[in-house]
Amino acid sequence: MKCPLCGREAASDLCVYHLEAREKVKLAYPLWVKAYGRMEWKDYLDNVKRNVQTGQWAKEIVEFLQGV
Amino acid sequence: MGYTLVICEKPDAARRISDALSGGTSGSGLVEGTLVYRFRRGQEDFVVCSALGHVYGISDPLEERSVYPVFDVEWYSSDLVDEKSAGVARRIAAIRKLAVGASKFVNACDFDVEGETIGYNLLRYACGGRERTALRAKFSTLTREDLLRAFDSLEVQAGQGLARAGRARHAIDFVWGVNLSRALSQSALGSGHRYRTVSVGRVQGPTLGFLERREREIREFVPIPYWKIAGVFKRDGGSIAAAYSKEKVETRSLAEKVRTDCLGKEAVATVVRKRVVQVGPPVPFNIGDLQKEAYRAFGYAPSRTLQIAERLYLGALVSYPRTGSQRLPPSIDYAAIMRGIGKLPEYSSDAAELLRGGLKPVQGPKSDAAHPAIHPTGETPKRALDASESAVFDLVVRRYMAAFGPSARREIADASLVVQGHEFRVGGGRTVFSGWMKYYGRYAGYRDVGLPPVSEGDRFLTAEVTVEEKFEQRPSRYNQSSLLEKMEREEIGTKATRAEIIATLVGRGYVSGESMEVTDLGLAVVETMARYAPSVVGTGLTRDIEGKLESVEVGSGGEAALLRETVRTLADQLAELSLNEESVGREIDSAQMKAVAKSFTLGRCPVCKNGELRVIRSKATRKRFVGCSNYSSGCRASAPLPQSGTIRATVKACERCSWPIIYALGGGRPWRLCVNPNCPGKRKS
Repeated sequence: MKCPLCGREAASDLCVYHLEAREKVKLAYPLWVKAYGRMEWKDYLDNVKRNVQTGQWAKEIVEFLQGV
Repeated sequence: MGYTLVICEKPDAARRISDALSGGTSGSGLVEGTLVYRFRRGQEDFVVCSALGHVYGISDPLEERSVYPVFDVEWYSSDLVDEKSAGVARRIAAIRKLAVGASKFVNACDFDVEGETIGYNLLRYACGGRERTALRAKFSTLTREDLLRAFDSLEVQAGQGLARAGRARHAIDFVWGVNLSRALSQSALGSGHRYRTVSVGRVQGPTLGFLERREREIREFVPIPYWKIAGVFKRDGGSIAAAYSKEKVETRSLAEKVRTDCLGKEAVATVVRKRVVQVGPPVPFNIGDLQKEAYRAFGYAPSRTLQIAERLYLGALVSYPRTGSQRLPPSIDYAAIMRGIGKLPEYSSDAAELLRGGLKPVQGPKSDAAHPAIHPTGETPKRALDASESAVFDLVVRRYMAAFGPSARREIADASLVVQGHEFRVGGGRTVFSGWMKYYGRYAGYRDVGLPPVSEGDRFLTAEVTVEEKFEQRPSRYNQSSLLEKMEREEIGTKATRAEIIATLVGRGYVSGESMEVTDLGLAVVETMARYAPSVVGTGLTRDIEGKLESVEVGSGGEAALLRETVRTLADQLAELSLNEESVGREIDSAQMKAVAKSFTLGRCPVCKNGELRVIRSKATRKRFVGCSNYSSGCRASAPLPQSGTIRATVKACERCSWPIIYALGGGRPWRLCVNPNCPGKRKS
């Protein structure tokens, strides 16, 4: 099975790189909520996607999670 | 009675040694097309000849690149191993011919692992097994004094640890590289595309592993927000800016509270610290330090710095550069070198000043039994140096002078301003005594930052408090200098080979450009290796082998046992790769195809704004041109391209017309150009 985001061999539904990136995106969410007081998941994804510091694979995961 | 045959590593060294020993009276002639020098010294006749670096290399007898594993390897003359070494056969023939009439042999190659290996192989294979009886000339500079000293104290090399370690290193690296590279290349070939070399060397693998781990951190990075607070404090018409004591405030609400609490309130200077600190001179250069400093000062890649330093060494301007030592022993005659430096106008006053004091250099912690730290020889250049040679020479000279300079003194001051229980800090520093910095010049790298005009108890009005939203920065990619440092820290590779390994990673297409970004192919190689042959990209095994090679060097370890152990480990890894050949091949081949496709893609099409501009070769004319991937949908964007040389995408668009900028290499100097023939930037005014 191929990773739908990059075509590499998939470890489960994604390749190892995108699986790790998804984990990082999920782990960072509570830190953003704490930082701003409150933040919806959807807004969080929008913000991470727009941020210039966000890594390429993390950005691809965000788009994947957004269903783009 | 025959003559003494002196074997040098390079032609320049042969010339310098002949000049030094003969007092400039040597004659020269050609033997088998190779320049040799002849002269008489005392009662002894000398013939001096040279290799061209390594003239023997390792190969496997079969030379069939589809076959692996290969564990039986032999030394061959380099022209049989590498077709680029065609001139080597005549050089070996010359040395073989000269050896017939020689009664005494002197190995005068560079005194390190590689030089010992070169000399050992020539004495063994071209001189009829003289490697154990030949005398050794040991020197660290090619100055007349050093060479005369070396030839007045010739001795037979006991143990030959350096040569044995060098030969073992070559054998291990060959067996390692050839087997893994063939395993990967054959796997990829099995996936149906044409043969392309995919290599993984013993040190190359772990080095690529470092880059891949950093690349993952960067590409998986999710920034976390934080807030940075700064204040402006006013008093008696003046003001100072200070930063909040906590560099990163984790929540917006806390940051806002600090602003609300402080703005317009009185701040009191509670602690003002002023002190003078001593800053000691930098330690003398070993090769790694020189490469890092040249990268910092001039942006030179480590391999370039090494090449330049070697040219300066062959010109007798600096000492042998492939050294790990940071120490300058008294035997190098500090004063004579300083007097020599002082003959150059740009250093004369500094050198004279240093000579007036007692010359005692700072010493670094690292030592090298074979050579001292890199230092100038005190000789003045006999030819005009090019810009890069001048730059590195200046750096070496100034570092040498700085090593003898006294400690510098810097005044450091910082103060705390407290307002409503919140602390702000301000600091600065300035050099009050330049000491060694004066001699190190622009390389010293210390800046003066104004000291805060604050005394304890001073009261200020908090006039401004700014709260700035920031995000954690993703990690930086390695550059060639920081990667070299990482390799040193992890103890993989040698001082002589690290720069070359970095250059190979770029050459193989595993890493692209100055930014050292790992390509899809580089990622695929590491991922595949990590899955099927993890030791290849881990540091443990390579570091272990380095340690054992060092034991061979100092005579406390055997190379045969090390080779057997390496082969056993490698055989296990190869078996695993072989079992999974199909999936290894698929992954590598897919990454290679992506890399090829990427190399033909120049950028987004500025006409249809949807397709990609690609390099296409016309089936009719075989000429290459730029065309849009949306041609079938009607986009007719196209442009001609230079028909010779290499074209590389730059991922940059022209500022004038948004068409891609390409990098064209071939023939003369490489140049950048916009591919759009109608670009406004190209029109004649």
